Amino acid sequence: MPVTAVNSALELKNVVRRFGSVVAVNDVSLTVGKGEFVTLLGPSGSGKTSTLRLIGGFEELDGGSIRLNGERIDHLPAYQRDTATIFQSGALFPHKTVAENVAYGLRMRKVAKDEMAKRIAQSLDTVRLTGLENRYPAQLSGGQKQRVALARSLAVRPAILLFDEPLSALDLSLRLQLRAEIKRLHDELKFSAIYVTHDQGEAMAMSSRVAVMNAGSIEQIDTPETVFHSPSSEFVYTFIGESCCLPVRVTTSAIQDKNGEEVGLVLAHRPGEGDCRIYVRPSRLRLVGDATSLPNRLRARIHFIEFLGDVYRYHLKSGALELAADHAGAIGRNVGDTIDIGWRNEDMRIFR
Amino acid sequence: MTAATQAADDLHATQRAAQARRKALAPWLLMLPALVIVLVFFGIPTLYMVRMSFNLHIDQRLYVPGFTFEHYVNLFSNPLFTNAILTTIRLALIASLATVAIGYAFALLVWLKPARWRLLFIGLALAPLLISEIAIIFGWWMFFPKNGLLSYALLSSGLVTEKISLMYTEFAAFVGLVYVTLPYCFFILLSIFDGIDKRLLEASADLGAPPSRTFREVMLPLTWTGILVAFSQSFIWTMGTYATPSALGPDTLWTMGFLIQEQMLGKHNWPMASAFAVVLVVGVAAVMTLTRSLQSERTSFHV
Repeated sequence: MPVTAVNSALELKNVVRRFGSVVAVNDVSLTVGKGEFVTLLGPSGSGKTSTLRLIGGFEELDGGSIRLNGERIDHLPAYQRDTATIFQSGALFPHKTVAENVAYGLRMRKVAKDEMAKRIAQSLDTVRLTGLENRYPAQLSGGQKQRVALARSLAVRPAILLFDEPLSALDLSLRLQLRAEIKRLHDELKFSAIYVTHDQGEAMAMSSRVAVMNAGSIEQIDTPETVFHSPSSEFVYTFIGESCCLPVRVTTSAIQDKNGEEVGLVLAHRPGEGDCRIYVRPSRLRLVGDATSLPNRLRARIHFIEFLGDVYRYHLKSGALELAADHAGAIGRNVGDTIDIGWRNEDMRIFR
Repeated sequence: MTAATQAADDLHATQRAAQARRKALAPWLLMLPALVIVLVFFGIPTLYMVRMSFNLHIDQRLYVPGFTFEHYVNLFSNPLFTNAILTTIRLALIASLATVAIGYAFALLVWLKPARWRLLFIGLALAPLLISEIAIIFGWWMFFPKNGLLSYALLSSGLVTEKISLMYTEFAAFVGLVYVTLPYCFFILLSIFDGIDKRLLEASADLGAPPSRTFREVMLPLTWTGILVAFSQSFIWTMGTYATPSALGPDTLWTMGFLIQEQMLGKHNWPMASAFAVVLVVGVAAVMTLTRSLQSERTSFHV
């Protein structure tokens, strides 16, 4: 018998899920340590929700294995798995009060009466809903509903909590508020969790580790900082944070745009000959001051200017290349002016 | 406050009051055409029927104007009639329970299946509604007799060794009744299912409830209202229907519908037939009131 590390809450090995000819989850392996908060981040259709549903037992595996606290669970029906899901819709029982909703999982686990009452009060207190025990879900706001869903899942003290985009149906301010609250709860209670989202802000803010998914596979899994600063692939780079792509052709004598015209691009380390894509982030480009003293530079024309609140965004053109650069204030240049922008080596990535 | 503004305010107040009156009147105006039809074509004949039930029946004349409770007394003292009432209730009760059970399972299946099957199932459920009750009865006449489809199917599948006839049995009447009311039951229940978030089933399983528990704790409470509505609608229909049980059941299956017809057309006793009809209407109304009182106060959980 293979010995499984005791300190891992959940272990996915070569998990595969197909829908007809579509491979929704393609050979995903993932380990979640005890008390770890791992986010599955990806665009829609990347297989993140399917992966979560496989763990919860709502989909059947076509290959691989899932272990919870070292025990195989992939053959068990959902109701025998020690997981608890927080659904996007909340999925509260509309005919049961808040307290009855929270009690549901405890009743199924045959928790004793007095212990049950204690745990209901405790979990409602954790999500700050004390006093609403006798309300029906229809009488709650969207944010309150998700808190009840969270309390309902926390009350059963599962081996792992599964979050299925629980905040995506809420408006922005509520989302930020609940995000901070989930983070606080995790710091406090140290539960193990998998959190599915397409919102990179959520992923960055809450996670111990982020797994970026694309086309059914995990492209990169690492701490939020590493994923953000050292993306392992072009997909991760473009998916995390804003970026501009400069498709260029490097020849022995010059750097050209797609039309074969030379562009005023100066690079500290010239890439090898051939086609490549240079990526930069709008927030890392310098427009004024030391821009010309930076190792990488581009001379470009201001195409149009957007005011985004915190920053002005300058949309620039150089030949067929288009990019955007942010600056905290107006730089005193107008549409049609030609300016020099610069960036540091670490703020650029080249993929070919 | 000047007199001029006071006058203007008063004007506004009267205008608002007129507007409020118009608003209160609007629903009645919108209902008026339907209301007229109901009152003229259902209300007046019903009242006429009630009056008729108190008329006298003398010398084989259809009726003689008068006032007597004789027909009601007769109805509840003659075992022939009381048995008919009991037979009708028994048949309607069993048929309705079976209809609701089948309709529930069918609607649940359609609700759970992927959407691409939905249209097919709905078409299947809709089909019997496109055929008249009489045509359906003719269909059963092909199905139940000794040389019918059922007999042939049972024989060729080896379940029976000799041709059998289920024609003119209570079972045939029962099947006929279920068939007629099933589509209505199905659509009532499906509309209830469609109002339920399917994620609730997953949430229930997720919290540790096996399917049977999920059914009892989540599905049944959420569909209870639909079950009652489907049941009462099916019960009302099967109580009142005449053609199907008479055409498919045995000669001895005397339902209220059958006796009303017999009193009216055979015995030419209009007051007796009317009294019977009044009892039927009152009985049905009683069942409706009863099922309504069984519905929970919170008829909808969706706000």
